[in-house]
Amino acid sequence: MLVTAFLLEPKLGTKGTIVRRNLLVFLSGIALALVAGWAVFPKVLYVQKDQPLDFYHKTHGEKSGLATCDSCHVVAANGEFSGIPRSEVCAGCHTEKLGTTEAEDILVLDYLKQGKEMPWLVYSRQPANVWFSHAIHTRRGGLACTECHGSYGESDQQRVYEQNRISGYSRDIWGHSISRLRRAPHDGMKMTDCESCHRRRHIEVGCFGCHQ
Amino acid sequence: MKVSRRDLLLGSAGVAAGLVFTPVPWKLLGDASIWTQNWPWIPQPAHGPIETKQSVCTLCAAGCGIRVRMAAGWPVGVSGVSTHPLTKGALCPLAFAAQQLNWHPQRLREVRHRGRAASWADAKAAFEKACSEGPVAIVDGRPGRAASSVFEAFAAKHTGSYQVVLGPENRALLPYAEWSGVPVCALGYDLENARTVVSFGASLLDGWGTPGRFTRLWSKRAAGQMDPPLRLIQIEPSLSRTAARAWRWVPVKEGSEAALAAGLARVLIEERLTSTKGPVPPMTLAEASTQTGLSIEEIRDLARTIAANRPAVVITPDANPAVAALNVLLGAVGASGGIVLRGKRRAASTIPGPANNSLRAVLIDATVPWEYVPQSDAEVFRFAAWDGGNSKADWLLPAPGFLEELTDLPTEPTSAVETYAIAVNLLTPGAEIKSATQFLAQIDGSLPEIEKVIHARCEELFKSRAGTVFAAKAVAVAQSESAQKLEEQLRGGGVWMNDAPRSGSLPCTLKQWPTDAAKSRALDWASLWAPAVLPPLAGKLYQESNLREAPARRSA
Repeated sequence: MLVTAFLLEPKLGTKGTIVRRNLLVFLSGIALALVAGWAVFPKVLYVQKDQPLDFYHKTHGEKSGLATCDSCHVVAANGEFSGIPRSEVCAGCHTEKLGTTEAEDILVLDYLKQGKEMPWLVYSRQPANVWFSHAIHTRRGGLACTECHGSYGESDQQRVYEQNRISGYSRDIWGHSISRLRRAPHDGMKMTDCESCHRRRHIEVGCFGCHQ
Repeated sequence: MKVSRRDLLLGSAGVAAGLVFTPVPWKLLGDASIWTQNWPWIPQPAHGPIETKQSVCTLCAAGCGIRVRMAAGWPVGVSGVSTHPLTKGALCPLAFAAQQLNWHPQRLREVRHRGRAASWADAKAAFEKACSEGPVAIVDGRPGRAASSVFEAFAAKHTGSYQVVLGPENRALLPYAEWSGVPVCALGYDLENARTVVSFGASLLDGWGTPGRFTRLWSKRAAGQMDPPLRLIQIEPSLSRTAARAWRWVPVKEGSEAALAAGLARVLIEERLTSTKGPVPPMTLAEASTQTGLSIEEIRDLARTIAANRPAVVITPDANPAVAALNVLLGAVGASGGIVLRGKRRAASTIPGPANNSLRAVLIDATVPWEYVPQSDAEVFRFAAWDGGNSKADWLLPAPGFLEELTDLPTEPTSAVETYAIAVNLLTPGAEIKSATQFLAQIDGSLPEIEKVIHARCEELFKSRAGTVFAAKAVAVAQSESAQKLEEQLRGGGVWMNDAPRSGSLPCTLKQWPTDAAKSRALDWASLWAPAVLPPLAGKLYQESNLREAPARRSA
């Protein structure tokens, strides 16, 4: 109503009318940009992709006794991190189907029985030019897994994997807040996040600490 | 309401102004920069299990121990092996970045015939035709390997010749081989027992011999000390990296090394500073002084210093008899801390065969330096993993690259003790890649197989019961369980090293002072690298870091 009144009420042809109309058009452009930039852009920038099957951390923690992260995500004695477990680890329990879900069928029939690795989309995968040691951060640094990965280990549903159409990286790297303001502590795994954490803890590693 | 052009422009301006306050331009800028890091042609390491394998570097004859970090079966990093008896964890910049080499833009991946794409069948047919028409020559750059015995066998069976192109460090030992009658591959430098090392331009701290051997020695016994137990005297026109770290740098005029050697010899003889009898150089001290740019007193002082700090050994970067004769005069040939006989292993044999002008084909192995050009009109078949450019060969044949071929490594040219190592193929090259031995085996199926030759050599080592295998731990061969176990250890990246060299069994006679002086050329870590192809990281490592031992690290 106000906009209509602002636009139509004044008599056409006067100087004030033209100025007001111009201002309105300009502000409309700004409003359009703000809506597109904050609401539409994130949805366009990220494409949602499906994981090979639904996996529930909580189910594995509660029903299978895999209570801690390192039950499956192992840091070896020499410091090497296993990352996503290989199919043979899953096959340790799922040699045969343990349930009637579709995910169980896919796991056993499509992958384990055929000896194939599951093409998991890794939420926290870093670029190839980054060297990161889980052993140093968890053992020497004493960080809990949740400090970087959040409480995903307790999730009871599969998260949607969102991939940046331009960079190809997971949305977890940038963080779920497109503005990167008012984020949860574990939201975002960019270099600046590493730097701020290191700065907070007074641990300086320099460029070659990570980019070896 | 009619929308005017002004409205469109104003609206666009509003959108542009509004976008500044959204994440759109900033996020797009960041993402676009990441996008440029991920061009499709940039090789990305595969994702998969990470493992570390120990092996031996095959890029040059030094055979340094390497630890290869592999992701999903692909090498992503190379580091040294601290338990390696010669390198002791050191590597040259080339080896540190060697994992990049197989993806180098100049990697040869197709058969080329005079610049055009061809097939292996074409190359085979052409070589077979040449073999049927007349004699062929096989040229080897690293004699003594299992592959070398395949080449020798082929040359012997097909009325051909087997020729060896020696590297500069091997050539530097040629005068002693000639004077003593001992094959060059049985000679080495006993630097560990030397008190003075006189280098006539050899880059001892910059890639000479096995990286790590002399640098560790220098770090432990010389670096940062005013009166060190090991004195490195560098005679070189320019202040090289080695000269800058030497105990004494003697700047001489370029090409005057032989004159200085003659001057030093004159002082040694005239002042009776040596008990070894030898011919008097034809050059006077004054002439030596004029040619070198040093004063007579400086030459006298240098000779006295060398004589007073024996055992002393003189090292040249390439064959230089006029300088090498100094070692004879100093009594360093066959003596502890000098040129020693390191073993009795078979000499690099050459089959002379027919004259080069009657050859129908010359097959050049990938170990031969890229710039080698055979003096023959025959059709040239050149194996190479990387195209060094401006090849004059008729055929360029893609050979296995880094860690793509099973091979063995006999003793490094400068080593004082015999060594033997095996480098297994951690990577499987594509079907378009073939080694020279595989190529010859397709032509003659009766040639010995590399696997069997290596197996036989391991059995020979086991039967000798001599030396030690340095693998996860050092085990004397005499205590090894079996030849199979020994071979397993060597295939796992271990290295066999013979017992200490014998000394005093190298009679060297010098009838007249040699005047055949070669111009010394300083060599660095990249000089012995066959094609002029370097991984991008190697240059950066060399320029921006110091891969040499610093005094502060000498206790490590």
